[in-house]
Amino acid sequence: MPAPLKYDYPSASDEELVKWSQCGDTEAFEQLIFRHRDKIFARAMIMMRNEDQALELSQEAWVKAWQRLVQFQGDSSYTTWMTRIVINLCLDQLRRQKRVRVESIDELEEESGGVERLMPIIDSNPTAGMEQVELRRRIDEALGQLSEAHRTVVVLHEFEGLEYREIAKRVGISMGTVMSRLFYARRRLATLLSGIKRERSE
Amino acid sequence: MKTSDLKLELQAYVDGELSPDRHHRVESLLASDSQAREWVEGLRQISLLVRTNEPDLKVPTSREFYWSQIKRQMDQARASNEIRPVSTALNWFRWLVPAVGVAAVMVVVSIRSDRDEALLASTFDSMQTDSSAVVFRSESDGVTIHWID
Repeated sequence: MPAPLKYDYPSASDEELVKWSQCGDTEAFEQLIFRHRDKIFARAMIMMRNEDQALELSQEAWVKAWQRLVQFQGDSSYTTWMTRIVINLCLDQLRRQKRVRVESIDELEEESGGVERLMPIIDSNPTAGMEQVELRRRIDEALGQLSEAHRTVVVLHEFEGLEYREIAKRVGISMGTVMSRLFYARRRLATLLSGIKRERSE
Repeated sequence: MKTSDLKLELQAYVDGELSPDRHHRVESLLASDSQAREWVEGLRQISLLVRTNEPDLKVPTSREFYWSQIKRQMDQARASNEIRPVSTALNWFRWLVPAVGVAAVMVVVSIRSDRDEALLASTFDSMQTDSSAVVFRSESDGVTIHWID
């Protein structure tokens, strides 16, 4: 679909913007960036926990998206496609930094029977009464307290919606490790968020 | 089944990762085990909580600045793509020059080698009439010495 001379980009759908961008319309692409830049940056920030790196990787993701735009067939939403690109860049960066495999206290606990030992009943509603903005902020903090290995699995499963098998493939670990990391991460998150509840009641 | 395996099985149930057969077995267990039901409920709650409250983080720079940096990288990528055919040709030419050089050296060496062999043969021819030669060969050292007088 050729881009018309002057479009009302802000009111166009993502699909239209993508099609015009595929024809080389940088204004349409800029509008896509403006629309989704926070989400893409947030995903990078949650993974990397470093603002400069997250900023750089999110921008690199947009450049890669521009270069590969012809490959986007619309099988998924544009944001899903974009988040996959930025997540892949983050995983590559983490591998380069050799930080994913660094043993943290979390991983040591997991390997020494953490799943078995640390599974009391999760508080069914650890954040009752908390406002959503505050809740999101606290969840971000809790994610920041997980090891990178555990956080990566949580992000890929809970935010990206990937199945165990796909996570195992993308991170380069076994499905059993995916399951135990996810279990331990959830347990830890529940504990951290329960702490918030106690803090608020004091 | 060990307790830890059971917990991972329950998690897989919550995540919809079980085969129909295993899914059915877990449901049977849940019908009779209140602790397993509580675990499943706890896992569901924390999963839902995280999934529906993804941290809402904002790009820390202005729209214009963010876009300008991306645009610059896009332009650089485009420029490097545009010069790629030229650089490919240069790459080919870059390999051609040393290849021609090596070929030229081989030709020279070959010519000189032929000439040296001819010269050596003529030297031996001229020496044969009024000269003697002693050959010493050491098998253990793998050395052969030719003494020409």
